[in-house]
Amino acid sequence: MEEIEKTLTKEQALIEAERCLYCYDAPCEKACPAHVPIPEFIQSIRSGDLKGGREIIEEAHPLIESCGRICPEESFCQSACTRAQIDSPIKIRELHRYITDHTDPAENLELPPANKGKIAIIGGGPAGLACARELRRMGYEPVVFEKKQLGGVPAQEISPTRFPREIEQKEVKFLHQYFITDVKDGKVKSLSDIKGDYKAIFIATGLINELDLDIPGVSLSGVHHAREILRKVKAGNNSGLGKRIGVIGGGNVAVEVASVLMLEDPKRDVEVIYRRGLKELKAFKKEIEEAIDVGVTFQFLAIPKEIKGENGKVSGIVVTRAHLGEPDESGRRHPEPIPNSDFFIPLSDVVIAIGQKASDFFPEVEKNRKGLIKVNDDMMTSVKGVFAGGDIVRGASTVVESVADGKKAAKAIVKFLEGGE
Amino acid sequence: MYKKKDLSIDFLGIHLDSPFVLSAAPPTDELEIAYNGLKAGWAGVILKTTSVEGNPVELKYPMMSSFGPMHKKVVGLGNIDLISAYHIDEVERRVKALKETFPNKMIAASIMGATKEQWQTLVWRLKKAGADLIECSFSCPQGSMGEEPGKMLAQSVEATEKVTRWVKEAAGDTPVLIKITPQVTDIVEVAKAVKRGGADGITASNTVPSLLGIDIKTFEPYPNVFGKGAYSGLSGPAIKPLTLRTIAEIAKNVDIVISGNGGAFNWRDAVEFMAVGASNVQFCTLPMHYGFRTIRDLKDGLAHYLMDMGFNSPMDIVGKALPNIEPQEELPAPITKAEINEDKCIGCGLCYAACSDGGHLAIEWDSNKRRPHVNEDKCVGCAMCMQVCPVDAIRMKEKIDGQLHYFVEER
Repeated sequence: MEEIEKTLTKEQALIEAERCLYCYDAPCEKACPAHVPIPEFIQSIRSGDLKGGREIIEEAHPLIESCGRICPEESFCQSACTRAQIDSPIKIRELHRYITDHTDPAENLELPPANKGKIAIIGGGPAGLACARELRRMGYEPVVFEKKQLGGVPAQEISPTRFPREIEQKEVKFLHQYFITDVKDGKVKSLSDIKGDYKAIFIATGLINELDLDIPGVSLSGVHHAREILRKVKAGNNSGLGKRIGVIGGGNVAVEVASVLMLEDPKRDVEVIYRRGLKELKAFKKEIEEAIDVGVTFQFLAIPKEIKGENGKVSGIVVTRAHLGEPDESGRRHPEPIPNSDFFIPLSDVVIAIGQKASDFFPEVEKNRKGLIKVNDDMMTSVKGVFAGGDIVRGASTVVESVADGKKAAKAIVKFLEGGE
Repeated sequence: MYKKKDLSIDFLGIHLDSPFVLSAAPPTDELEIAYNGLKAGWAGVILKTTSVEGNPVELKYPMMSSFGPMHKKVVGLGNIDLISAYHIDEVERRVKALKETFPNKMIAASIMGATKEQWQTLVWRLKKAGADLIECSFSCPQGSMGEEPGKMLAQSVEATEKVTRWVKEAAGDTPVLIKITPQVTDIVEVAKAVKRGGADGITASNTVPSLLGIDIKTFEPYPNVFGKGAYSGLSGPAIKPLTLRTIAEIAKNVDIVISGNGGAFNWRDAVEFMAVGASNVQFCTLPMHYGFRTIRDLKDGLAHYLMDMGFNSPMDIVGKALPNIEPQEELPAPITKAEINEDKCIGCGLCYAACSDGGHLAIEWDSNKRRPHVNEDKCVGCAMCMQVCPVDAIRMKEKIDGQLHYFVEER
């Protein structure tokens, strides 16, 4: 599967870079959770020093290959772009990607000796890697516990059409080589599983389990979970699904898995079945556009009622037509079933993509009712010296927010260990 | 389908259907191209400079290079071109042919000689061929008359006067323009010499000597002729302010007809040239860049401007700005403050950055609201903030004895 989005040409990058106003006290930089100094790297594009641009981004952000590709810019930097008040916002992510696509990770690193002690980092995703890198920059020895593969969700589950494997692997390899003292693959389910002399612990496991749909028929053969499919495809395997697939859900994962399945076999029908409408779809604009582009269709205002089967295998789904009522606690208009409006969609497979949930790991630390770990302003859990960040604290979020958590936690850990600010 | 305003002017007794003519340059060096230019609607051509026989012209290619910010490559265009490689016999034929096809257009010729005999022979031959006007290039290094190689004729006041006299002597009632260089210590002295020599007018001015660029990897100059390079003549928008000053300085000090040339890229530039004293405006880089079709916007833009301003003829513009140009020490001394239009401000903070690091620390910045605020106690009114504002939200409020005046830059 080839990457869909193409990198900007030099001409496109220069024209776009020139549009940047080079704002003082730049709002884009503030809107970026990782605070990437955006006007400064755009200036590097203007002047033709892409290596300098890369250094500027890398200093602020360890996963710059990921963010140049999959960051939902419209939610962060781009949403604050001053240029939008004149015409349209700068394509910041694309300019970021222009730099990363034309440069290699800078190996002229100058790091202090790693002698301040080991820190255990549970989970090698964006939050864990960001925390590890910051700690290494401050002289600590981060040890990452990762059972699967370093890189987390972007590495394991983001479609290769949006984030090619070789690029993701290059990035993770670089971080591993220069910033991580050790990687351990033992499964850590509680604090007592962490054996060794660690000065602090950072929990960044992300959300491991997927939510199940509470309707009859979910145990039929041919009912799958979205992230499972994504991991399979990302690992280079065939999904093994049939010709007519219904994806249930209305978030990024639903749209992503639908695109991946469509690209895997363009002769398939892949339909996203969603309770609300297009406007309520909680996926990033670029992903929706790409999905439509590859031929994914949408069945909006359809509430799943029952998955039907024949001989234990999925044959289709019964859905109830909905109309949108008043906004609910999510701020989006609530779908209300229309009586006697059930209809049947014949399907070979059903993919459930309605969200993720926290595991019951780390019973020692305090959690909220959703099972997410509670932290204070310094990212510390109820257990002294144990910190947490990323999806296991915020719920499903983005790479850049997890990176921001990792950075913040690293600072907090150092403050905890060394005192001062 | 639209009625067009009459833009015609009388230039040294020659009828021009608009003030816009093609200067002596590549667009007038081929008969077919000059023909296309006139057909496209330009008011006249000044054929590329010719010399007498026996002066072989060795052009070197590539001859063009340019510079500009980012993707806009041609803000300044540089050339290492010389005069036309065509023999005077051929240029004579062209004058005749073009005059025959376009009896109502100005067909002028540009010449350059080394001796009195050469200058006068060129004038006689082209006059006889029917040229409406003779322009003399006094601003090409090859016009040094062998006295000081590399020096331009118009850099010597004495030589300028002397050669002008020779040319005018031969030209008789055919109008003569002397094309000077801006690269002199005192442009007024040169213009006075042109006037004393008896020329009908002056072309102000020509390209500016320059070095277009250096390849920072090979250290080879631009344009790059097999690794070597020479100084270029710079044209295009980059030199417009230089030309504007040259025209103004001549117009304020010498009573002579001026043909504006050098850096005009649209009708607004042309209006500015005329406002400081030019009677017509020559173009070269614009059509070389975008083609002869650019004449439409030049003419339409000028026509609409004249109507909006209530002017009858393009000549009404000539010299309009001159009374307002004064030496710095004679300017009034208002109390000036920057004034920010809050409604137009988009909060980029560039005015703050400019005033903080290059001004007078007179702009305060509200980081939460993203709005600048002028501290009038500190603001001296330098107008640097106004230069950097991307949305023209800043104007300068000038006050003398309760009287108000505003400086607003319209681009």
